[in-house]
Amino acid sequence: MNIVVCVKQVPDTWSERTLRESDSTLDRDAADAVINELDEYAIEEGLRLAEAHGGEVTILSMGPDRATEAIRKALSMGADKAVHLVDDALAGSDLLGTSAALAAVLGQIGFDLVILGSESTDARTGALPAMLAERLGVPQLSYASKVEVDGSAISIHRLADYGYDTVEATLPAVVSVVEKINEPRYPTFKGIMAAKKKPVQTMSLADAGIDPATVGLANAASEVTGWAKRPPRQAGTIVTDEGDGGAKAAGFLAERKFI
Amino acid sequence: MEFSETDEHVALRQAVAAIAGKFGGEYYARKAAAHEPTSELWKALGEHGYIGINLPEDYGGGGAGLTELTIVCEETGAQGAPLLLLLVSSAICGEIIADYGTAEQRARWLPGLASGESRIVFAITEPDAGTNTHRLSTTATRDGADYLLSGRKYYISGVDVADAILVVARSGPDDADGRTRLSLFLVDTDAPGLTVEPLPVSVQVPERQFTLYLDDVRVPADRLIGGEGEGFGQVFHGLNPERITGAALCVGVGRYVLDRAAAYASTRTVWDVPVGAHQGVAHPLAEARIQVELAALMTRKAAWLHDQGLPAGEAANMAKYAAAEAALAAADAAIQTHGGNGLSAGYGLLPYWGLARLLRIAPVSREMVLNFVAQHTLGLPRSY
Ligand SMILES: Cc1cc2nc3c(=O)[nH]c(=O)nc-3n(C[C@H](O)[C@H](O)[C@H](O)COP(=O)(O)OP(=O)(O)OC[C@H]3O[C@@H](n4cnc5c(N)ncnc54)[C@H](O)[C@@H]3O)c2cc1C
Repeated sequence: MNIVVCVKQVPDTWSERTLRESDSTLDRDAADAVINELDEYAIEEGLRLAEAHGGEVTILSMGPDRATEAIRKALSMGADKAVHLVDDALAGSDLLGTSAALAAVLGQIGFDLVILGSESTDARTGALPAMLAERLGVPQLSYASKVEVDGSAISIHRLADYGYDTVEATLPAVVSVVEKINEPRYPTFKGIMAAKKKPVQTMSLADAGIDPATVGLANAASEVTGWAKRPPRQAGTIVTDEGDGGAKAAGFLAERKFI
Repeated sequence: MEFSETDEHVALRQAVAAIAGKFGGEYYARKAAAHEPTSELWKALGEHGYIGINLPEDYGGGGAGLTELTIVCEETGAQGAPLLLLLVSSAICGEIIADYGTAEQRARWLPGLASGESRIVFAITEPDAGTNTHRLSTTATRDGADYLLSGRKYYISGVDVADAILVVARSGPDDADGRTRLSLFLVDTDAPGLTVEPLPVSVQVPERQFTLYLDDVRVPADRLIGGEGEGFGQVFHGLNPERITGAALCVGVGRYVLDRAAAYASTRTVWDVPVGAHQGVAHPLAEARIQVELAALMTRKAAWLHDQGLPAGEAANMAKYAAAEAALAAADAAIQTHGGNGLSAGYGLLPYWGLARLLRIAPVSREMVLNFVAQHTLGLPRSY
């Protein structure tokens, strides 16, 4: 099975994140960069499927030079090879641009199964898997908390408020995963050392046959017109327990629709 | 000169930190207070190839060097979960068996050490010899093809979790020129004639200490590591790795307690500013951070020298001294920063102070390091 896992490098959620004053895009230099957390689950699922059914796991990442760090990490977890789509003209691409670019590369390298995290911690739209499936003309199986493959049949548990739906499709397909699905592995020392010898193919827009007019900030269909810093955290509410502490706490949560 | 780390070293730091971070300081402090081994962390690191990172690849190790093992020691410490037995099992015993063991001995012992599934601890200290190794009185006498070991060792760490003990014993009278005839033997922890008695210490560390009574313990000749009578030189070869990894552990612990202190000092407010704004609180933390950073540099240099096969004794001693002092200063400043909370069980800082305090005494005391530097670096006369 030819599995491609899409991986995005994002600013660490633990560090202070901000947008650039000049163009309202994310200031990637201001924060530590890590693999998008959900993508680690996607990598893990790809590795497990390849281990169980045979085949190869290819990492596909679109991002600046620095994204090689995320690619190396994915390779050190055990993926076989990687494709890095890197081109200055891609900077600031919106979802339409990103999905077009990734679909172009996927069309070139081929796949049986594409796995992604359900959303990234920076943009958080959660719409890329669906757009990608649409552009590739293959079924989308979203929010998977379990994936099973049998020949060319794929079935997943799709996480829902009430439990899960079982969704079936035929490969090739696009699957997006949630963190319930597995426990991502840590790289082994052998994995780290092997990663530097694994092939990483870099592709430019021209290599991938992508029309520069479809990507980049200037061609984005959506635009950030304004933004503000999150207001400082308000002081919390202190519930004094006078025998009714439980009810008060529950009331607080219910008011905010947590329960 | 190059101070940036390779991509692989950065990845190694991140991977070890991720695994150790899942356990973290709370886990460590709880285990330390109960004197219970941190075996779960040991196992997790072993499964990922980090416990035997310095051991030869042919025997299941990582095929890397002491530089990489020091990264493992530092990063586990920096997550608040230092592993004292790395100094003993992976550094001393692993290096001695890899360098001096026969092919059969390496095949027998190294794979277990590499995977972390078995541990070997190290016994040199004796009640009547102390720092003076020339006075060791545990003896090994030939008996046919075997050796019989008799004597007493104390403060031996980790015997409860080890399969074997690398015992340093006298195997003959001193030479005419005063050379002490020592030999190294691998003794099973359940060998007949060996009595293992707990030796309670009041520093809170997960690793337990023991007194060993050896009463004619029969040891087959294939348990002699290296040449008979060559033990002194071999032990000294293993002590540099122990000092360097000990230094790395201290660097990690120093980083951890200072991170904790900085986080606390940035939020704890009793007047109108966080306590970290008071220089009386901030400066000791900053001073300790400088000491930790300097010790880290010396530790890397010592590990590099050892890996290059260059003389590393002076750098190893200096690194061990500087790192233990830095960790102790860091732990003390971190505790002071926390006020009363610094001594609470809940904040769990005292175990790190105890560990740093221990590392000022063991594996080599600060006085013996100062003696070394006075004598070998400065050429001063010796007092003993
Ligand atoms: C928790 C713990 C774990 C340990 N684990 C192990 C282990 O796993 N294996 C093992 O073999 N040992 C172990 N030890 C023992 C440790 O290595 C020794 O305690 C240490 O080397 C000091 O030896 P000593 O206690 O005999 O001190 P002594 O030799 O009695 O020294 C007492 C004091 O005198 C000073 N001193 C001695 N000679 C001189 C001199 N010439 N000049 C100046 N000052 C001098 C020393 O520095 C020290 O401060 C452990 C100890 C502890 C506390």
